[in-house]
Amino acid sequence: MFWRKKDKNADGEVKIFFASDLHGSNVCFKKFVNSAKFYGSDVLVLGGDLTGKAVIPIAEQQDGTFLAFQHGESVQLRDKSELDDFVKRQGNIGFYPTVMSEAEYQALRTDADAQSVLFKRLVLERVHEWAAFAADKLKGTDIPLVALPGNDDFHEIDEILTRAAHFDFHEMQVCEFKGGYQMLFCGGSTPTPWDTEREYSEEQYVARFAELLPQVGDMDRCIFNVHVPPLGTALDACPKLDEKLRVVYEMGLPAQIHAGCQTLIDIIKEHQPLLGLHGHIHEGRAKINIGKTICINPGSVYPEGILQGAMITLRHGQVTQANLMQG
Amino acid sequence: MSVTDVGADKRIFLRKASGLIRTASGTDTFIYDLGLVSIGLGVGSMLYYGPAFYPQGNLIWGCVIAGVAMALISFGFITWSITLPRSGGIYVFGSRILPPALALTMSLVEISAWLFYCAIAAYWIVILALAPMFSALSLLTGNETFLSISQTMLEPWATFLIGAVILILSQVVLSFGMRFYLTVNKWVFILALASTILMIITLAMATREQFVTNLNALVGPSLGVPDAYNAIIASGKEKGWGEAGTDVWQTILVSNWPFLPLVGAAFSIAIGGEIKSVGKSQSVGMLGAVLCATVAWIITVYLAYKVFGFEFLGTAVYNVLSGNGGLTTPTDPAVALLTGILTQSPLITVLTSLGLALWMWMWIPGMHTFGVRAIVAWSFDRVAPAPLGKISETYHTPMVAITVTTIVNLIFMALFVFTPWFSKIVILIEAAVLAWSVVLAAGIFFPYLRPQLYEKSPIASKTVFGLPLMSVGCFLGFIAAQFYFWTLFFDPNAAGHDPTQLMIVAGVFVLGFVFYYVMKLIRRSQGIDVTLAFKEIPIE
Repeated sequence: MFWRKKDKNADGEVKIFFASDLHGSNVCFKKFVNSAKFYGSDVLVLGGDLTGKAVIPIAEQQDGTFLAFQHGESVQLRDKSELDDFVKRQGNIGFYPTVMSEAEYQALRTDADAQSVLFKRLVLERVHEWAAFAADKLKGTDIPLVALPGNDDFHEIDEILTRAAHFDFHEMQVCEFKGGYQMLFCGGSTPTPWDTEREYSEEQYVARFAELLPQVGDMDRCIFNVHVPPLGTALDACPKLDEKLRVVYEMGLPAQIHAGCQTLIDIIKEHQPLLGLHGHIHEGRAKINIGKTICINPGSVYPEGILQGAMITLRHGQVTQANLMQG
Repeated sequence: MSVTDVGADKRIFLRKASGLIRTASGTDTFIYDLGLVSIGLGVGSMLYYGPAFYPQGNLIWGCVIAGVAMALISFGFITWSITLPRSGGIYVFGSRILPPALALTMSLVEISAWLFYCAIAAYWIVILALAPMFSALSLLTGNETFLSISQTMLEPWATFLIGAVILILSQVVLSFGMRFYLTVNKWVFILALASTILMIITLAMATREQFVTNLNALVGPSLGVPDAYNAIIASGKEKGWGEAGTDVWQTILVSNWPFLPLVGAAFSIAIGGEIKSVGKSQSVGMLGAVLCATVAWIITVYLAYKVFGFEFLGTAVYNVLSGNGGLTTPTDPAVALLTGILTQSPLITVLTSLGLALWMWMWIPGMHTFGVRAIVAWSFDRVAPAPLGKISETYHTPMVAITVTTIVNLIFMALFVFTPWFSKIVILIEAAVLAWSVVLAAGIFFPYLRPQLYEKSPIASKTVFGLPLMSVGCFLGFIAAQFYFWTLFFDPNAAGHDPTQLMIVAGVFVLGFVFYYVMKLIRRSQGIDVTLAFKEIPIE
């Protein structure tokens, strides 16, 4: 076990495994759920952006083969075995493969509305599958899977996950947390170049926190689960993009900018919560201190099937361990 | 939500979601790799050591051999980088397949070598660029102050102090973050490239007669001989410099010198996670850098031989390095000094010398960053003390790791300058090549031992004679890396294998293992099993 067994039931000790930005990757979600047993954690916390970004249409051809797209090139799948293998691999890297006829594909590729409907259907199906997987794996345990939405998550997932067994899904709430702690949930992000599902201006964040902060009983025992990281830190450093969404490179290395939330860092500096859990910026894998608050972004490399996360131990109102992990 | 069909042939529908970015091009990767090859440093070192130590070695063919070998090593690393497109270099690769202790040890060996490279570059800036520049200025202007400055720079304490300032400057640059470093490097690269072009044009337009006339006029009086050029050659031969000729073994050995800077061509493995179309971009970057540097060196070597003469280059340096008391130039006959003598222009002397220094400088923060990234990764995996991964609140950079690596650089620098250990520590390069060999060898078996990871690789379906492309690529890279391990092993000038050196290599490997197991024990006492950091969480 990663954590000492003799401390397992120590008074007031809570072990959290935190990950974020799984973006539809089946393999990463399964690892995340199984990490409870693997690392011996008491609570699983997911920091948003559960949903993926691409549908892979697999068009059945007249000769019985299937035509699809992978790694920048067309691929032909000759039989069901290859098809099943392809579907599994695409799901593992966070894509949504779906089989259709060539005629359906040709009709779909020029119909943006139909693509949107298909996209949403596939995303919600996967969320249902994940909820079922978590319920099965966590059955018989008292390990909750605590989650909030990221900026890429459709609003429709809220209802599914709110009802799911073992899921403890919240947005814009301050809730009681194991060990006598509180968790503040604030999903979405500041505006991005992609105009995603849940984006809020700094002014809106000011209003959102104004709504949440009065609900916090004791900042010394409050965990901020805020999808966007604080601005101007190692947690929100990401590549600078040009107007065509291409990374700007300087001497072969990506130019860096900060893409976090100013309001959040101001509030953390002022109120000094116990812990900040963040995601959103996949490149911002780091653990930092803002004053006495420990803030963590575990980063994300979900396309590789590798789960990045953080193991955190709370004891007597203190963060006694906070380690970045990958598995 | 909006959905984009990215084209009839690209059967994929994308929605607007964060992270959908088009990342680095092959050109970007090429510039990164080329900067770490350091064309100027290669020119300076191979023209200095090549003709002196390997009179029967053909340096032009040596460049070709090194280029081919480095291309094969790059090929192996490209397959690794495609399969695991993540930043972090061989530590990331090794940690997915090798036992944790071995993965950490390989990484420690590798970064020891690259930190050694940092110190060597700082050392060479003084002895191959700045001191010769002032010496040339003295010759050209008749101002003895410049000569005094040059000679003072070559005093051990002065060399150390200047080198230390350069290494600390690297720390300062990195401490302000990658953006500042890149801004600095952008200008350094442009200036260095311009100076190399200037030097090539200067050499192309000059003749041997011009150089000989100028050398005799400037150096002859101080040596007390009218024909200094031929006197130096005759002196070198008399003192034991071998006759010029062609020998296959010496040609292979001299290829060590272009190979040593060429290792920088593979350094984009450290930023693999930030590169778009990783296969194509890494191929363009690594192989392009190898090709470009090799061609530039061949042209420069050809022109340098044409203008300065092979025998002169060999004997002038040989007389210095062997300490035989033979005739030579007033200070080290580095290419910066010789270009100054050739042109008799203080301005061109300064420009080419500073250009050489700037090329050498590019190695320092580049290699330094490589070491820092590895150490931070160890800290994240709990196999190094946590403070090493700590990010400064002020600068948002890993200040502790940057400082620790700077201290290591300074220790290496002190060993070069104040002890005769340079020739011993240079063995670390050989150890790094051995570490590469281990990781490339692991890559041969990766598709078989880690099929679940390999199946996600874009090259998973590609085979050569029925063998996975990664296995073939890594096998070729392994052979090339082994070739240079043994070539360096049998070359006492570039690396060597005397008992002390072998003990140093063994010591670094042992240090890696001891470091891992000590950290493992410490972590265990803290309730942490570090081996879990290297294990994959089960899926089912």
